[in-house]
Amino acid sequence: MRIPTLIASLVLLALALAFPHLVNAYWLSVSILAIFYAIITASWTLLVGYAGQFSFGHMAFVSLGAYTSGLLVTSFGVPIPLGMLAGIIVCAVVGSGVGYVGLRMRGPYLALFTVAFSEVLRIIFVSETEITGGSGGLEVPPLFHIRSDIPYYYLGLILLAASLGAMVALVSSRWGLFFRAIRENEQAAAAAGVRVIRFRVLAFAIASSFAGLAGGFYAHYVGILTPDIGSVDQMGLVVAMAVIGGAESLVASVIGALVLEVAIEALRSYGEWRLVIFGAALLLVIRFARNGLLPLAWDRLARANPRLRRVFAG
Amino acid sequence: MSGSMTPLIEARNLTMRFGGILAVNALDFAVHPGELVGLIGPNGSGKTTTINMLSGHLTPVGGEIMVRGSAATGRKASDFATIGVGRTFQITQLFSRMTVLENMLVPGLARPRSHKAAVTETARRHLDFLGLAKLEHLQARNLSGGQQKLLELGRALMLEPSILFLDEPFAGVNPFLRDEIIELVQKLHADGRTFVIVDHDIEALQRLVRRMVVMARGRKIADGTVDEVRHDQEVLRAYAGF
Amino acid sequence: MADYLLVQALNGLVIGVIYAVIAAGLTVIFSILRIVNFAHGEVYMMGGYFAYFAIKLLGIPPMGAVLVAMALSLALSVVVERAFLTPLYSPTTERKGDYGILVTFGISIFLRNIALIIFGPYPLRPPSFITGALIAGGFVMTWDRVFDAAAGVLMLIALLWFMHRTSWGEALNAVSQSRESAAICGINDQRFYMLAFGLGGALAGGAGALVGPIYSLSPSMGLIPDTQAFAIVILGGMGSVAGSILAGLLIGVSESMFVALFPDPSRSLTYAQAFSLLVLMVVLLVRPTGFFGRTHTALE
Repeated sequence: MRIPTLIASLVLLALALAFPHLVNAYWLSVSILAIFYAIITASWTLLVGYAGQFSFGHMAFVSLGAYTSGLLVTSFGVPIPLGMLAGIIVCAVVGSGVGYVGLRMRGPYLALFTVAFSEVLRIIFVSETEITGGSGGLEVPPLFHIRSDIPYYYLGLILLAASLGAMVALVSSRWGLFFRAIRENEQAAAAAGVRVIRFRVLAFAIASSFAGLAGGFYAHYVGILTPDIGSVDQMGLVVAMAVIGGAESLVASVIGALVLEVAIEALRSYGEWRLVIFGAALLLVIRFARNGLLPLAWDRLARANPRLRRVFAG
Repeated sequence: MSGSMTPLIEARNLTMRFGGILAVNALDFAVHPGELVGLIGPNGSGKTTTINMLSGHLTPVGGEIMVRGSAATGRKASDFATIGVGRTFQITQLFSRMTVLENMLVPGLARPRSHKAAVTETARRHLDFLGLAKLEHLQARNLSGGQQKLLELGRALMLEPSILFLDEPFAGVNPFLRDEIIELVQKLHADGRTFVIVDHDIEALQRLVRRMVVMARGRKIADGTVDEVRHDQEVLRAYAGF
Repeated sequence: MADYLLVQALNGLVIGVIYAVIAAGLTVIFSILRIVNFAHGEVYMMGGYFAYFAIKLLGIPPMGAVLVAMALSLALSVVVERAFLTPLYSPTTERKGDYGILVTFGISIFLRNIALIIFGPYPLRPPSFITGALIAGGFVMTWDRVFDAAAGVLMLIALLWFMHRTSWGEALNAVSQSRESAAICGINDQRFYMLAFGLGGALAGGAGALVGPIYSLSPSMGLIPDTQAFAIVILGGMGSVAGSILAGLLIGVSESMFVALFPDPSRSLTYAQAFSLLVLMVVLLVRPTGFFGRTHTALE
């Protein structure tokens, strides 16, 4: 790492660590939700941007992870960390299942299939009121029994750093190369000896596990779960975060998520217009800057100053 | 080439049907180590279907495929690739938004027990051989059509294949590139690689191959030296009839 | 019980006609533009509101409002098509499939949110087309449903007539068979993409205007009919208008039967929504040329 990069990283780290002491409780809770969305957006980017498996069912796995942990903890008294772990495992298993049955589909068909899966799951959570509490919500015990949100912030930060680190390591490994090969051309990938079925299922399993992790964290932070967390509108928000940031780069999509979530809160006075603004922003970015705003900005900067290219390439 | 050797790849009674159409009809076909075989036939005669079956991209409805003596029928395309059956496609199939080098690394790293440093070195060697060494950091989609064809060949070479199927390598290729491909294949063949080349360009094939197999309407109608095949009455009829 | 099932079946047939109209619109779009339009349900929703406000603000009679809704939905669709779909026809656009998915998904999110602001989250119910009900023996059906079925059938007939008996329709058909050869014959693609997307939108909007008095309107009303329409289009064999119509009727009736026979009545309505989703999933899995299929066309 070169010196300026090192200094920038250290400053960023210090800022992230000091953050809870610099802001009030409201912005702290916003930043925790931003972290929650960042994990989801990064894992959706892994699945869609890298592996090319178009899924609109990602929020379903967030809700599955959340409800699995929530129900295990409330109904069976399972310790919360174990509940969250169970949520991750359930998501990995169900995710492989969806990936496996979706093998014959690609592109818009897979997108449709995952939307349908997602809505079915949401309807089950709405309808089975005896178990899930339906639309009224399910009360879930919190992870920490203190009144401050600070521990959640640090835990979220650790989870985000670990998830992002794992995903970056994954995409730079040979598995990441195979994911992209499958995205580009399945037939050619198979002819090159890539086990397409195995890696498509794996992509779903891995991305769903991270969604499940985010879901479990969310459940035991907000304390009340409603089926809305798995709705298509929530999915739309995540798609907007990833696409506006840059859905083919993990870092760009994470920054997209953090910035958009903070912007949503900052624009609170605009009320419902915020979502229209983001919908319009999403459309404009898709139409005019398909790879997202950040890669576009990096590109411009790197062109203006070639020395920066190496920094961004890393 | 002695008949007693185990063939590298062998099809017995191979059959494929699309809807009601018999695309390949009870084909028997074997390729031995070190051969350079041309597979020709009019459009729709079943050549590409045959290659697709012999590389695992299509599962035959009947018959058997043996690779180096062991049964491979029904296995996946990626399995065929890992046991040494390489191929190119009629329409070049690359990983377009990946770099030239990454295109080469995929098959190398998909092999079990491969190491990145060694694979990268092999890839660079092949790129050098193909004249693509300077382009390794370009995205594949930014290459010219001819360079893309060469890269696809290079990617197949990364499998260390014992047999290579080339599907219409000369189609839509200018004369200079055609000569270059012929020369590359000759060099690779001299190094001991085995090829099956499907093409319409009989003139190019004649310069390259000794053995020629002719298909028409899903059947093999001739199999022999170039001279034998050129004077075969059934072959002449098949081409005249279309 | 037998009477009840019969009434349910007839209700299902009415809804089936509406589904068929939505799905026929989706089919027209799919067969010409080669995209799965994720925003189709939102155009259906907008159609419902267009009719509502045509009645409330302009004092147009309910039946006339259906035509107004269709015209406005057509206009909306053409604007959307011009603004966002033209990259699909450009040879320099990469990964058109991905673009089609993302942009139509984005449009659906945008329309839903803007509807939420303009129309509010609370259900609105436009006035009936014809008040009262048709009563024959033990059989009761509101005149609204009868009207919906008749109007829906009329729209479908008009569509089939248009596609098979007019030169514009024939040109559309030619484009759907092959873009390249249509272009060679001098058929100007761009205008026909616009026409197809507009026509599809008009059908969706018309369907939305028809269901208003039965189901009432809400910004999220498009979500479920959208998936139903996809199931129908795929079941009907991607691109066959006649196939979509029959599949629409089939799904309408089987859905009503599902609701009627669902063991737990308190949940039957929410699970009725899941029914079409499950149908869609199964249809995608067993993957179709459909029963009236042209062979399935790859979307990439």
